[in-house]
Amino acid sequence: MTRGMMSVWWAQIKAVVRLEMRKTFFAKRGLWIYLVAALPVLIFMAHAVATASQQNHRASVVRQSEKRLTYQDLLAVKSGMTREEVIAILGKPPIRFHWTDRRPNRAGSIVEVSHEDYHYSDGQNDLFVGLADGEVESINIQEGSNPGQDSIMFAGVFQFFFLRLAIFFGCLGIFMNLFRGEILDRSLHFYFLAPIRREVLMAGKFLAGLLATCAIFVTSEVLQTVAFLWHFSPSTRDVYLYHNHGLEHAAVYVGVTVLACVGYGAFFLVAGMMFRNPILPAAAILIWEGINPFLPAVLKQFSVIYYLKSLCPVDIPSPPGTSPIWALLVSNSDPVSAPVAVLGILIVAMIALYASSIQVRRMEINYTTE
Amino acid sequence: MSDRIVFEDVSKFYGEILGVNRVNLSIPPGITSLVGPNGSGKTTLMNLMTGLVKPTRGRVQVLDYRIGDPENLFRILGYSTQFDAFPKGLTGFQFIYSYLKLSGRDSQTAEQMAWRVIERVNLVDAAKRNIAGYSKGMRQRIRLAQALAHDPKVLVLDEPLNGLDPLARAEMIALFRATAAQGCHVIISSHILHEVDVISDQVILLSNGYVVAEGQISTVRGEIQDHPTQILIRCSKPREFAAKMFEDQHTIEVSIHKDERGLLLKTRDADRFYLALNQLAMNGIDIESVAPADDDVLSVYEYLIGSEEAVR
Repeated sequence: MTRGMMSVWWAQIKAVVRLEMRKTFFAKRGLWIYLVAALPVLIFMAHAVATASQQNHRASVVRQSEKRLTYQDLLAVKSGMTREEVIAILGKPPIRFHWTDRRPNRAGSIVEVSHEDYHYSDGQNDLFVGLADGEVESINIQEGSNPGQDSIMFAGVFQFFFLRLAIFFGCLGIFMNLFRGEILDRSLHFYFLAPIRREVLMAGKFLAGLLATCAIFVTSEVLQTVAFLWHFSPSTRDVYLYHNHGLEHAAVYVGVTVLACVGYGAFFLVAGMMFRNPILPAAAILIWEGINPFLPAVLKQFSVIYYLKSLCPVDIPSPPGTSPIWALLVSNSDPVSAPVAVLGILIVAMIALYASSIQVRRMEINYTTE
Repeated sequence: MSDRIVFEDVSKFYGEILGVNRVNLSIPPGITSLVGPNGSGKTTLMNLMTGLVKPTRGRVQVLDYRIGDPENLFRILGYSTQFDAFPKGLTGFQFIYSYLKLSGRDSQTAEQMAWRVIERVNLVDAAKRNIAGYSKGMRQRIRLAQALAHDPKVLVLDEPLNGLDPLARAEMIALFRATAAQGCHVIISSHILHEVDVISDQVILLSNGYVVAEGQISTVRGEIQDHPTQILIRCSKPREFAAKMFEDQHTIEVSIHKDERGLLLKTRDADRFYLALNQLAMNGIDIESVAPADDDVLSVYEYLIGSEEAVR
């Protein structure tokens, strides 16, 4: 392999990428990929808008309060306290509802009961106190959103929607069409008539698919992070980004997104060459990735999601009472270290690309049988 | 260095369907026409020599190149296929330019070469238009331009004259001849037999996936023993000429032309006829012209493949 050959191959790869990018980015049949990538951004934007509105309401409650409250003040209210005791701790309720109803007492006779609902806030959290006949009957503290808790929600959306569905199907749509789409359009011979090694053509197409998927999904990932942090105050954002590993997490998510595109892209490239109908391999790979937590350790290594899950920076805790199957699906019982995970994905991708290079050498132009 | 396109015992099956079977060929430079009815294996043979399909059995070699080595093969070979599809959204110029860029050429060289070949196929005015809006003839020309763009030594053209108007056909035929005159191979498939007849140095006749004859048309015709050779003679005393001819046992049939200025003769031994002709000329018959009447592709085709197939 001489230097001259390498420079010709590189020029050829660039030519393939240029042609493919035009097709990939502006293809009408790829429009749904943009929508799938945009969906989590929309979810986080909606969440941000809802949280901001909640925040405004809290601020209005704080403004109407007699005194500044802390979270400790909110926790000080206990069941059985009298109205006066509550007001002594928290002041007059800024928001109060009052109504009466009739209910049977212990003796069995129907009596009239006076109800009150008080709403307090410390600016971050809400306290709802329910009183019956002047005694605290129910206490409900609703904690406001904070980056720490929201990052778990972010991790859930990332792992269960973005990785397993959006990137998965996005890569399917783009990489499977690199060869299959041109066979269906009957235009693949254009490449096969050029003085270019089939492996170089394959590399060019893979790179084009990778650039396209990375551009789409990394942009989506960055916008998700922006939307996720949007409703927090600048100081909260700074603390989260620079002191609580927020920036580090964001970078890791981008890295995981790129690796997901590499892994799934390589899988779907070879699948697009080997199968006429994309539904079968897609379903097979989706099931394989889905049952990964239940597979023996040896088989786990031959999937992309196994390594990607190990790289995700935030673990999703299983709520108490979760079924064991769900808990197994959520948790990563057998994680590998980051270098091993990156290497694992690259090795899985290399194996798939090697299979693609064998397949592309064997390919014939025979549109009539497609 | 070989100057031949060689097929050695090549067969191609598409599943259970026969493409071509047991093909042995050694094609020299010049214009070679592949002739045969639909489904006879012309396109399969072309796809085999360009590596677009792989032989089920046997070996194909183009000059010194293996067909499994597209990187080198397509530096000396250009193929204008019958596939009427193009990468989406490209103009004629972009189509040729992209093809040359895929070959690894730098932008400036690719642009120069693209314009040169577009000019060669007379498509300059339409070069900046999207191919999707091209007429059939224009699409044919741009495919031809792609095949010619890198000045190949071997030009493979599948039905290259389809969709072209008479003027364009004449231009293209001149172009093929000029290319062949430079010592290149020009392989053409066509079912327009009189055009093949005019331009071919040699023909390969195909039927049902088999090569039924190959070589120069006159040689192929000479090898067909079943059919007597037909010769058209324009002369002064056709009846006297006919009488003399019937003295030869190889003469089968003679018919006098309506204008009494010529005759059509069928003989089993053309060589003996030409020897006798000199004798007749010396006996006072004024011979104006002598021409073989069935020494063309159409006749050879009809004799070997059958008139019904020829009509198709």
